[in-house]
Amino acid sequence: MRIVLFTPALKVSAIGRMACLVALELTRIGHAVTIVRSEDECFLLAKDETHAFGGVELVAWNDHQAVERRLASADAVVYQMGNHFPFHRGCLEWLPQYPGLVCLHDFYLGDLFYGWAQSRRHEAEEVLNQCYGENAARDFFTASGRISFLDETRDTSPMTEWLCAMATGVITHSAWGIDRVKASCPGPVYVVPLAYDAGQGVSARDERREVDDSIHVLTVGHVNPNKRTSSIIRAIASSGVLKDRVAYHIVGSIQDDVLQELEALAGGLGVNLRISGEVNSVDLDEAFRVADIVCCLRWPSLEAASASTIEALLHGKAVVVTDTGFYSELPDHCVLKIRPDDEISSLRLALEQLSLDEHLRRAMGERGRRWASKTFTAQIYAEQVVVASRAVAQARPILDAIGYFRRLISMWGGSGVGVKEALPALKVFDGASPK
Amino acid sequence: MKILVVNNMAPFVWGGAEELAVHLRKNLIEAGHESEILRIPFQWEPALRIPSQMMMVRAFELSNADRVIALKFPAYLIRHPHKTFWLLHQFRQAYDLHDAGQSNLPEGCEGDELRTLIRNADNESFGEAKKIFCNSAVTKARLRKYNGFDANVLLPPINDPELFPGGETGDYIFAGGRVNGMKRQHLLIEAMQYADKSVKLVIAGPPDEPADAARLVALVEKLGMDDRVQLDLCFLPRETYARYVNGAAAVAYLPFDEDSLGYVAMEAATAGKALISTTDSGGVLGLVRDNETGLVAAPEALSLAQAMTAISQNRRRATDYGAAARELWLDLGISWPATIEALLR
Amino acid sequence: MLEAEGHQVERVYLPQVDHPDLLFQQMAAYRWVDLSAADRVICFRPPAHFISHPHKILWFIHHIRVFYDLWDSEYRGFPDDHTHQGMRDALVAADTVALGEAKRVFANSKVVAARLKRYNGVDSEVLYPPVFAPERFHCRQFNDEIVYVCRMEHHKRQHLLIQAMCHTKTPVRLRLSGKCGGKPYAQELRTLIKQGGLGKRVILEDRWISENEKIDRLADCLAAAYLPLDEDSYGYPSVEASHAGKPILTTTDSGGVLELVQDGINGLVVEPNPVALGAALDALYRDKAKASAMGGAARERLSALNISWSHVLQRLLA
Repeated sequence: MRIVLFTPALKVSAIGRMACLVALELTRIGHAVTIVRSEDECFLLAKDETHAFGGVELVAWNDHQAVERRLASADAVVYQMGNHFPFHRGCLEWLPQYPGLVCLHDFYLGDLFYGWAQSRRHEAEEVLNQCYGENAARDFFTASGRISFLDETRDTSPMTEWLCAMATGVITHSAWGIDRVKASCPGPVYVVPLAYDAGQGVSARDERREVDDSIHVLTVGHVNPNKRTSSIIRAIASSGVLKDRVAYHIVGSIQDDVLQELEALAGGLGVNLRISGEVNSVDLDEAFRVADIVCCLRWPSLEAASASTIEALLHGKAVVVTDTGFYSELPDHCVLKIRPDDEISSLRLALEQLSLDEHLRRAMGERGRRWASKTFTAQIYAEQVVVASRAVAQARPILDAIGYFRRLISMWGGSGVGVKEALPALKVFDGASPK
Repeated sequence: MKILVVNNMAPFVWGGAEELAVHLRKNLIEAGHESEILRIPFQWEPALRIPSQMMMVRAFELSNADRVIALKFPAYLIRHPHKTFWLLHQFRQAYDLHDAGQSNLPEGCEGDELRTLIRNADNESFGEAKKIFCNSAVTKARLRKYNGFDANVLLPPINDPELFPGGETGDYIFAGGRVNGMKRQHLLIEAMQYADKSVKLVIAGPPDEPADAARLVALVEKLGMDDRVQLDLCFLPRETYARYVNGAAAVAYLPFDEDSLGYVAMEAATAGKALISTTDSGGVLGLVRDNETGLVAAPEALSLAQAMTAISQNRRRATDYGAAARELWLDLGISWPATIEALLR
Repeated sequence: MLEAEGHQVERVYLPQVDHPDLLFQQMAAYRWVDLSAADRVICFRPPAHFISHPHKILWFIHHIRVFYDLWDSEYRGFPDDHTHQGMRDALVAADTVALGEAKRVFANSKVVAARLKRYNGVDSEVLYPPVFAPERFHCRQFNDEIVYVCRMEHHKRQHLLIQAMCHTKTPVRLRLSGKCGGKPYAQELRTLIKQGGLGKRVILEDRWISENEKIDRLADCLAAAYLPLDEDSYGYPSVEASHAGKPILTTTDSGGVLELVQDGINGLVVEPNPVALGAALDALYRDKAKASAMGGAARERLSALNISWSHVLQRLLA
C-alpha cells in the first residue's frame, strides 16, 4: 500500500517517536510511506531535530502541491491525533477534505479544539452546539480562560466526537474512552496497544550502578497538575521512611511558577526533590536507568495510552500508576495501582512497599518489561494499521454514499426529518463495514 | 431522439396520469422518436417516508436518454441534463392542500420540516429544468405562488378524438367520468327534483369506492327517480362511453375546483355537445362559458335544475351551445401533434 | 404468465448505471423503493435484489461481474488497487446480506448458482428461463442450412462458424441472422466470407430479425448453432431451437449452453476451433436422420430440465 501518514515529527514529540517506529515497520513489511509533518509552521521553520525516519520521505503539511500529489495516489491516509494543537494543526487542515484513519492518542481533545477554534470561532460554536446541545458553545468558551477548563469540559464537551466524526476509521490505544469514539466514528474502530520503545537506554540496563542507598523515584513528562507531582511530594513527606530515603526526580518541561511552587513545597516538607526540566534523550535514558521506581500518576486521565509509562515498563522499572483509564487496563502483576479517591495514603503505602522490598521492585519490573516488550510493539501496530486500512477501504464506499445523501438533504434544508425512517433500510450495508 | 417519460407509480393503481404517459409515449413514437416510460414507485403514506423516496429518485442514474419529460413529484426530481417538466402535480399536500387543512403531513415541527424539504427540492428541480409546462392554469398559478417559477400551460389533449364525432342532439343529459364526492354527481340527482319532468339524466362511470355508487343509488330511490335517472356505475369500455357522449343533449361536469379543463368536458366539446357546469368547478370553466358554450349554474340543486331544464326543453339552444363548445375547443388547438411539438421545442 | 393465473402484476423497471463510484448511492436508492403495497416482489438483475420487502423472491440473472468472477479480466475497466478492492469487498458483503433477506433465491443457470455459492455463500435453486410463447416454434423440415439467429457480436463468435465453413467437405450451408453489434464486426464477417469464397454458401442477414422470421428459419433449418464464449446461461436461441425440434451445435467453452446441450443427444458439442466445427457441420449434413432424432431429443430435454412456464410459476409462487 501507499500510505500517507500525518504526524508531528519533532524529537520532543512522543507521538512523533511512535509514528517513526510504525512508519519504519510499515516500510520494512513492504509498504510505501510518506510522512506529512503536522506541526505548526513555526516549528517547521525552526528546523529543530526530528526523529530518525530513515529513508522515509518527509513533507510539510503546508506544502500543498506535494501533499495533494501524495494524497492523490495514496491507498491509505492516516492521521496521528493528540490534544496538543501546535503539533497537530496540520492534520486538521487536511482531515476534513481527505478523511482517513485516525490514530487517537488522547480521548480528551478540548485543547486541540480550542486551538483550532481560534481562527474560526463561529464554525467552532456551531460544532459545539451540534455535538453537545445549545449551551455547549457558551459554556466551553466561558471555561476556556480558566485553570479549571479541563475539569469543566472533560465530561461535557471532550470534543472526541467532533474529531471521530471526520474519520473513516479510528485506532485508539485503550478502551476506557471508547464509547464516544464508537458513537461518532462512522467507520471501524480498533483498540491497539500503542507502539513504543525504550529509546537507547535498555542496553545500558546491565551496567553496574553506583551503590546508592537512596530510593530514586522518577516522574517523566510535561509537568501539569494532572501528573500529580505535588501529591507525590506530599506522600513522600507523610512517611518517615520515604522522607529519609527517597530522592524524587522530576524530568520534563515545566513552567517557572510551577517549578518554584514544587520546590517550595518540597523544601517546606523536607522532601529531597530534583527538577531537571526538559532534557535530551541521553539524559532521559540516564534518568530511567538510575530510577528504582517510576511514578506515572494521572488525575484526571486524558490519554488513550501513556508513552512514558510504557517506556518505564520497557526499562524494567517498578511502576506506580493511578487506577484509572489506560492504567487500569495494565496487568495487576506488572504495576502497582493506587486508588485515586485516597491518593496520598494509597500512594504512600505503595511507595513504602516498593522502597522496602528490592526483590519486589526487580521482579515486578521484570514482569512489566517482559509483558510490555511483547505488547507495545511496532510490528503489532503496523499490522493493525494495514488491517484497519483494509476495513476502511471497505467502509468507504458506503460512507461516501451516505455523505452524498447527507449533502443532498442538507441542501434541501432538511435537518433530520425522515432520516430515522430512511436509516433502517441501510442496515444491509452493516456487513460491508464493521460499523 | 430518445425521450424518457418519467412518472410516479403507485403499485396496482392506474389513473389519468398513467394514461397520459402512455399516450405521450405513443405520440412521441408516432412523431418519429424513440420513447420509454420510467415509472418510479412512490407511496406518500406514511409521510415520513417521503424524504427517503426523494433521495432515491435523486440518486438514480439515467444513461442513454436525450431528453426527459417529467410529470409528477417526486419523479421529476430525477437528474438529467435536458429535463422538461409537464407538471401534472406537485405534492399538493405540502402546498395548497396544507393551507386548506387537508394535508396528510404531520402537524408541528416535523410537518414544517417536510414542507421545507419538499419546497427546496422542488425549487432545485424547477431551476434545473430546461422548460416548465403545466397542465392547467390552476397548476401554473400554484407553481408561481408557492415556488415562484413561471410555466407555460400545455393542456393535455384527448387521446382518441376520432371517437367523438358527435351526432344528434339527444334527449338525455350525460354525466360521465369518475364517480366520487368531489365530482358531485349527486347534485345532479338532487337537481332532478326541481327540473322539468321531461328531463332525463344518465350517470355513467367507475365509482372510486362502493360507497360512492351506493350513495347515488340510494338517492335515486329515495327521490323516486328510476324512470328519469339511469345509473351505469362501473368502468365503461371506451366505445360505450363515446356512445353516451355522442348521443347526449348535453354533458354535465361539475367537479369541485378541478385543476384543468377535465377530460369529460374536452370530450364533450370534441363531440360538439352543450356543457353544463357550476361556478366553482375551477379549470372546467375554461370550456364552459355561460350562455355561449353551455350553462354555468350555482353549485346547488335548484340552480342546476334550471340549467338542465333549459337545455332539455330547447334543442336548438343545446345544439348551438354544442357547436360553440366545439369551436372554442378547436380554437384552443389542443392536439397531440401540437403538444409534442411544444414539449420538444 | 402471472396475470394469466389471476394475479395482479406490476412491472418495476428502474434505471442503473454500473459506474463503480456511483454504485453504492444507487444501491441505497433501491433500498428506499417502497413496494409494500405488493404481497410479493420478484427481482431479477442487480441492484434490484436490494429492494427491501418482507416477501422478496430472487430470480438471479447475474452479479455485477467485474466485481466478481471478471475481476481478473480485461473487462474490469478500473484499477486493481486498494480503493477498488475495498469497493469489491463492500459490494460482496452487501450483496450477501441483500441475498440473505430473500425468502427464496433462484438462479437462471448452474453457472450462476455456483457463483452465488462461491462468492456469497448463498444456496439457490436453478430455475431455467423459458421462452415467450414457445408454442409458436415448430418443425417443418430439415434443409441443408445451419442457422445462427442471434445478435452478431465478437463473443457470440459467428466468425468461428464462417471459418469453419472453409473446412467443410459437404455442401452444407450457413445462415447468420441478427443485428450486428457494431460496424467493425460486420465488416470482419463480410471479409471472412469473401476471403473464404463462401458467398454462395453463407447468408449474412445483418438486420433485426422479426419473431416470425426467426420461427421460419428455425422451422426449416437442419440445425441451430449457438456458441457464445462462456455465457452464464444457455441463451434463448438454444431453447427456441429445442422447441422447434432442432439439434444445437455448440462448443466446449460456451458455458451455460452446456447445461442444455449434451453431445450426441440433443446436439453436438465440439472444440471451439474451425476444424472441429467444420467436421460437425458436415456430420449434421451427412446424417439428417440423426439430426432429426437429436431434434426430438432436444424437445424432450426441455421437459427433463423443467424449462416451462408452469414450472416457473409453480416454483416462484411456492
